[in-house]
Amino acid sequence: MSVVVLSARGGQISFRLHQRAVIASTFLVALLMAIGMASLMSGSYPLSMAEVWATLKGHPPADTAATVIWQFRFPRTLVSAMAGALFGLSGAILQYVTRNPLADPSLVGVSQGASLAVVAAIVVFPDINLVWRPVLAFGGALLVAALIQSIAMQRTGGTTMRFILTGIGIAAFVSALTNAMLTYGDIDRAQSALGWLAGSIHAVGWPEVVTLALCLLTLGPVVVWSARYLAVLRLGPDISVGLGVPVRRARIAMITLSVGLAAFAVAAVGPLGFVGLVAPHLALRLACCGVGQHLLLTALTGAIMVSLADLVGRVAAAPVQIPAGILTAILGVPVFLALILKTQTSRQL
Amino acid sequence: MTRTALFSVPVLVGLLALAFGWHIAVGAKFVPPATVIEALFSTDRTNFNHVVVTDLRLPRAVYAIVVGAALAVAGALMQGITRNPLAEPGVLGLLAGASFAVVMAVGYFRVVDASYVPALAAAGAAGTAALVWAVASVAPGGSTPLTLILAGAAITGLLGALIALTHLLDQESFDTMRVWLTGTLAGRSSDALKWSLPWLAGGLVLALLMAPQVTAMAMGDEAAVGLGVDIARVKALAMTAVIALTAGAVAIAGPMGFVGLVIPHVARLVVGADYRAIIPVSALLGATYLLIVDIAARLVMAPTEISTGIVTALLGAPFFVWLVRARL
Repeated sequence: MSVVVLSARGGQISFRLHQRAVIASTFLVALLMAIGMASLMSGSYPLSMAEVWATLKGHPPADTAATVIWQFRFPRTLVSAMAGALFGLSGAILQYVTRNPLADPSLVGVSQGASLAVVAAIVVFPDINLVWRPVLAFGGALLVAALIQSIAMQRTGGTTMRFILTGIGIAAFVSALTNAMLTYGDIDRAQSALGWLAGSIHAVGWPEVVTLALCLLTLGPVVVWSARYLAVLRLGPDISVGLGVPVRRARIAMITLSVGLAAFAVAAVGPLGFVGLVAPHLALRLACCGVGQHLLLTALTGAIMVSLADLVGRVAAAPVQIPAGILTAILGVPVFLALILKTQTSRQL
Repeated sequence: MTRTALFSVPVLVGLLALAFGWHIAVGAKFVPPATVIEALFSTDRTNFNHVVVTDLRLPRAVYAIVVGAALAVAGALMQGITRNPLAEPGVLGLLAGASFAVVMAVGYFRVVDASYVPALAAAGAAGTAALVWAVASVAPGGSTPLTLILAGAAITGLLGALIALTHLLDQESFDTMRVWLTGTLAGRSSDALKWSLPWLAGGLVLALLMAPQVTAMAMGDEAAVGLGVDIARVKALAMTAVIALTAGAVAIAGPMGFVGLVIPHVARLVVGADYRAIIPVSALLGATYLLIVDIAARLVMAPTEISTGIVTALLGAPFFVWLVRARL
């Protein structure tokens, strides 16, 4: 495999670029653009590619087109791509840190915490403004993640296996609470909560776009910076200590970062499952490369998965909209099983 | 068997009888214990209290006993053969598989005959078990407790999404299954019990027959081979028993999580490591536990009742977390 090395300031800053990874990311970006375009074009008010392009440039063919694109389809397309990228990154980081290929934010309590906070607010304060939903979801996710961390922590720093298993236990407890709440809530309110719980992107607008963009802009550089720690942590605690990484602090920081990424995404689009589980594996099959490029490919793959799930869910059974969360689970798990069954050989991730 | 095991059985039977009587006595209308005993042994159809006891409360108590015993024994066997303290039909996805098969058959193919339900549940549970084990064994690192449980959680998530999708596309036919899907003992028909009993009885007998070999396996594969145990055969037979027991329990009460996790650990505390004692004691304890949980589910928020499956999860999940802390 050919490797290109870019260096600046006499080699103080350098990047190793694998050619195949560069080609793969270009391809993924093109695919993502194509899906985004298809998503802007299709729906109950179909538009041609030229019309979409004209609308985006500010010369809409009709007022309806402008409304449909700018108010509904464009924010929705952006949010699904960005949320997908966040879920993918979150899963990849969790898998690197825990050194387990099956780790996923939706399996270890993050999504369930967000769900409980939203459902509890709807049941206890029926008059609550829906504006608060993302804030509540974010708070719930962080709270549950902190609870899991504090339970899983030991004097010796806690193993990642304990983190995951504690997460699964807490997730079961929290979703039982959510179920109990749903049984006693007002039926109409419970129904509206159920739509969000299924992971639906149909209600998003520009506020979510701004939130997610800010999150990507602030946490993105942190993820890039942390790639060097992830590259060491995945070799195991002994080697990490030998290489001079403060394992305990690095682990806590990385898991917190992973939870934060997932919490932002869950707050915007609801608990979409399995993107964080599958995207890192798909990215790894596309190109074998270093951690930094793998994270980039994972983000792109996650964005494509969620965009595609949203597009298919909107078009496939129209006028019924299938929530994207159901589709990511249905598409994601078989892909995951196929990937795992195909590679019998032991891989690092 | 140790002397503790022999002594504990009469005590546990007594506890079970107490819980049984209490379960029947409480409810929307309290029936005095004396009347309960009278109703059970000499029913007077003109006495309103007797009719309440025999027609409404007795069946529900019987379901609780049967389901609790079945799930506890299934959990004990799974923990024995996987040597994983966290193994349980719910955690490893068997309950989800069984209920998925039943929901699909009833919703899509309009299977209404109760006699097919346990067989469908068994097929679903067997399929899921095979899938979870396959995923866990080829995952890098092999089938560790962690990988098994993550694979189980992933499959459970997938099946939940599929159930949600079918529910979205065809609301009416799936509305009837919704309460059943949270795990409940209320309003079950006696048909379900009748057709599940052969599965449950077969599973229990098989479990008792396998108990000595499972005890050997719990010491580790190498020790078991040294003691002359055919590991593959024991695993296959024990899983057959687990699937039959799970299928029977799901056919009666829907997926009821964490019963099989909690009880075997308590049983081990009482009688030690011998599965010949653990299995019967688990059955007795599981039945008692589910009776008490069901009493709580009916009383805590009376007059409305919580699904029993929600209560078992609320009690069992913290125990799971504690086990993770204490054992791993």
